[in-house]
Amino acid sequence: MSLLLQVNDLSTHLQSGGTIVKAVDRVTFSINKGETFCLVGESGSGKSITALSVIQLLPKDISSHPGGNIIFDYRHDDATCEQVNMLDLEEDKKQRIRGSRIAMIFQEPMTSLNPVFTIGDQIIEALQLHEPELSYEAARAKAIDALKQVQIPEAEARLDEYPHRLSGGQRQRVMIAMAMACEPDLLIADEPTTALDVTVQAEILRLMKELQQRKGTSILFITHDFGVVSQMAHRLAVMRLGKIVESGDVLDVMRNPQHEYTQQLLAALPENLVRAHAKTDWHLEKSKEQAPPLIDLKNVEVHFPIKKGIFRHTVDYVKAVDSVDLNIPKGQILALVGESGCGKSTLGRAILRLTDPTAGEVYFEGREITNLSRAEMQPLRCELQVIFQDPMSSLNPRLTIVDTLIEPMKVHGIGGSKEERIELARQIMERVQLDPDYIWRYPHEFSGGQRQRIGIARALVLKPKFIVCDEVTSALDVSVQAEILQMLLELRQEHDLTLLFITHNIGVVEYVSDEMAVMHAGKIVERGPTADICSNPQQQYTQNLLAAVPRLIL
Amino acid sequence: MISEKRQRSYFARIFDDVKVQWTARFGFTWIVIIATIAVFAPFLANSHPLLLSEVGQLSSPALQHLTPGDVTLLLIFFSVVVLSFIRIAFTKKLWCVVSIGIGGFLANDILIEPPQLVIYEQYREAITDNRYDWTVMAPIPYSPKDYLRDYGDTGLESPLKDEERTHFFGTDENGADVLSRMIYASRVALGIGLVATGISLIIGVIIGGLMGYFSGVVDMLGMRLVEVFEAIPVLFLLLTFVAFFGRDLYIMMIIIGLTGWTGYARFVRAEFLRLREQEFVQSAIACGLPLRSILFRHMLPNGMAPVLVTVSFSVASAILAEATLSFLGLGPVDEPSWGQMLNQAVQAATFNWWMAIFPGGAIFLTMFTYMLIGEAMRDAFDPYLKKGAR
Repeated sequence: MSLLLQVNDLSTHLQSGGTIVKAVDRVTFSINKGETFCLVGESGSGKSITALSVIQLLPKDISSHPGGNIIFDYRHDDATCEQVNMLDLEEDKKQRIRGSRIAMIFQEPMTSLNPVFTIGDQIIEALQLHEPELSYEAARAKAIDALKQVQIPEAEARLDEYPHRLSGGQRQRVMIAMAMACEPDLLIADEPTTALDVTVQAEILRLMKELQQRKGTSILFITHDFGVVSQMAHRLAVMRLGKIVESGDVLDVMRNPQHEYTQQLLAALPENLVRAHAKTDWHLEKSKEQAPPLIDLKNVEVHFPIKKGIFRHTVDYVKAVDSVDLNIPKGQILALVGESGCGKSTLGRAILRLTDPTAGEVYFEGREITNLSRAEMQPLRCELQVIFQDPMSSLNPRLTIVDTLIEPMKVHGIGGSKEERIELARQIMERVQLDPDYIWRYPHEFSGGQRQRIGIARALVLKPKFIVCDEVTSALDVSVQAEILQMLLELRQEHDLTLLFITHNIGVVEYVSDEMAVMHAGKIVERGPTADICSNPQQQYTQNLLAAVPRLIL
Repeated sequence: MISEKRQRSYFARIFDDVKVQWTARFGFTWIVIIATIAVFAPFLANSHPLLLSEVGQLSSPALQHLTPGDVTLLLIFFSVVVLSFIRIAFTKKLWCVVSIGIGGFLANDILIEPPQLVIYEQYREAITDNRYDWTVMAPIPYSPKDYLRDYGDTGLESPLKDEERTHFFGTDENGADVLSRMIYASRVALGIGLVATGISLIIGVIIGGLMGYFSGVVDMLGMRLVEVFEAIPVLFLLLTFVAFFGRDLYIMMIIIGLTGWTGYARFVRAEFLRLREQEFVQSAIACGLPLRSILFRHMLPNGMAPVLVTVSFSVASAILAEATLSFLGLGPVDEPSWGQMLNQAVQAATFNWWMAIFPGGAIFLTMFTYMLIGEAMRDAFDPYLKKGAR
């Protein structure tokens, strides 16, 4: 096997304001022909910047390479090869390499295609740019062929469609088709499946593997997901703070990690977290004895009208939640699993009456709450709380943490004076493992994981009985995710909480929940104890979903 | 101890970002200069001596001739200076200044009665007759409406033409000092910008906020109202009002304000529609916070950024609207105004450059600086532009 790419001692510095950030710090790795090399790391570790340095896409005015080289085996059109250093190549030569020899696909399929051109135009433009002698008809035929290769049905017809007509998975396929159309030697894939559902992700990964085997392309695959790594990679490198801490053969590194950081990362995977099983069973037993359940949903529907015509009459409904029956016993963690758009978040909001259900009843402690007025709902707001997904938008950026925490306490009459409430806020901050003095800060001064802790603290200040956790760990790195999950489990024990845990991550479900409910197209497909469903799913949809989850192969 | 731990708030940080841009610094400096000149106009340009001694008796005709408006402006100015040294929340300061302004104006209106009959010449005559022991005159010893009748025909003299009298910027067609009139006109310029924009800001934020939060029918009705107001041609409305109700500056301010709110309403509506789905607003609702707090504490401060940027642009356009009207000869009759001076520059048989350049330059600079501040704020609010600017 011969080397395609050698990155030696590469450093990339980024200027931001007056300071220089060493985004990539003396990184060395190499990629063989026809192999998949994975760069793994948490957010901010410099893996994307490394990839952008390789393809030389970083803006010149803010980036510099104080050292190192990137030796690429440049295959000329007449099949002769030349070793070139990407760092000191002329711009027009770089441009010829980009696209034709090194191609890139990005994370966000929604924004990486130009919405004003048909997908055909975009593929054909790329083709003709790199092969100017190609006629339009030939290029079109080649584009259709490329779409067929990525298994887009009815490729001829699809070629003339605009990106908005395609689903996220299909767009990512088009991106791959575009990248592969010129038959590059190296494909850089920057988190290509992170924004996709697991079932779609599984298809895309399979497709990439197939294409690689057929064309012998090398892939530089960037991801944070060890499951994906173990599916895709031949070799991998773990990055942290701009440095590669460990690299080697996939199975070697995963089975026998040498560096402390790799060990930590692998240990933080939900699959590898050790759960206190005895306590869970006790909780499960306890919850079975107790009746009635804390939350009981009867035939809940949330339908959004689709309005058309001049008079905006309702022609149909989007059935976000479609006659759902669900009960959550006290003290239980119920995981609600489903792919994006299946209505799981809407159901969570409907229970809290952030969205009003269009039909059906929600019972809380045996009391019907769907028809309560705003004033009648007010005392219940203490009992029912929510923690949201995005730590960036879940805190008001204009208020200090202390204001965010004590305002709900004041409204609900918790704590007699302002000083008392501040003291309570400090205690809760301590409980979520943050410095109590942090309450005087603004949200922008915290990292994502810290903000998520503050989000939990805000839910806890009202001493609720029931919390909806809406994708609480989806935006976090694995190590932070592990801490947050452990903390939620502890808090559940301490405060006797009941949690509805909305997520798409099966690993998290297995770790955290007692029971799980699988949701698809607004309906609950299957429900039961987590261990039973995961080991022996009954419904076809659940089986597909579980099969698509990228597992660690050890 | 607690206040020491407080971190810089969002608006303080934005202001810091605005301040580092030299364009914004230039803009703020110019506006502070203009504002100071406007406030201290009676002490800068006045035919009445600031202080005089007549047969051993001290008196200050300038102070005696202060109008309630003059006193209120001084009051506001000093309260702003004092409050800027006190460490309290910005909104509290704002309320203090507004209440001092309104309360002070009402009180002064009753308490202060300047003499009805103003004879500018009497002091000059007295000085030539040596009736005063000594006098302290203002730097520009001419009031804006002092037409220098005692000197005969003084109309349209170019700057520093007359040896006997010093007119740095020359005189206008009535014989009054141009610099003095320009100093007083800065009040009109600043006042019309701030009052008109203030009125439209308040209306726009309230209507836009309600449209955005409640959406549905409220939104539909609100948008129709916005469209109705957008269809009104402001300049023709102003002309009509001037024709019917006379040339009143306050009516002009109010009309510009009442017709200009639609832009703000659109901005605030769009922001509120976006913010309503934000998770921190959702969790504020889930915490059972009252509607007032959700609207004004959690949503409004987060939706003000685009509005504040437009404010500075629309202050500029309000100034321009007044200048246009005055230029057309429909502004206040006797009150000095930059636009009106421009009108005089072109109406006379010869082109009087000093009547065009000085007021024109003042209008240009003031508009320009408001634009610069607006640009600087937009850059500070927009993280993408900020990256490029650094």
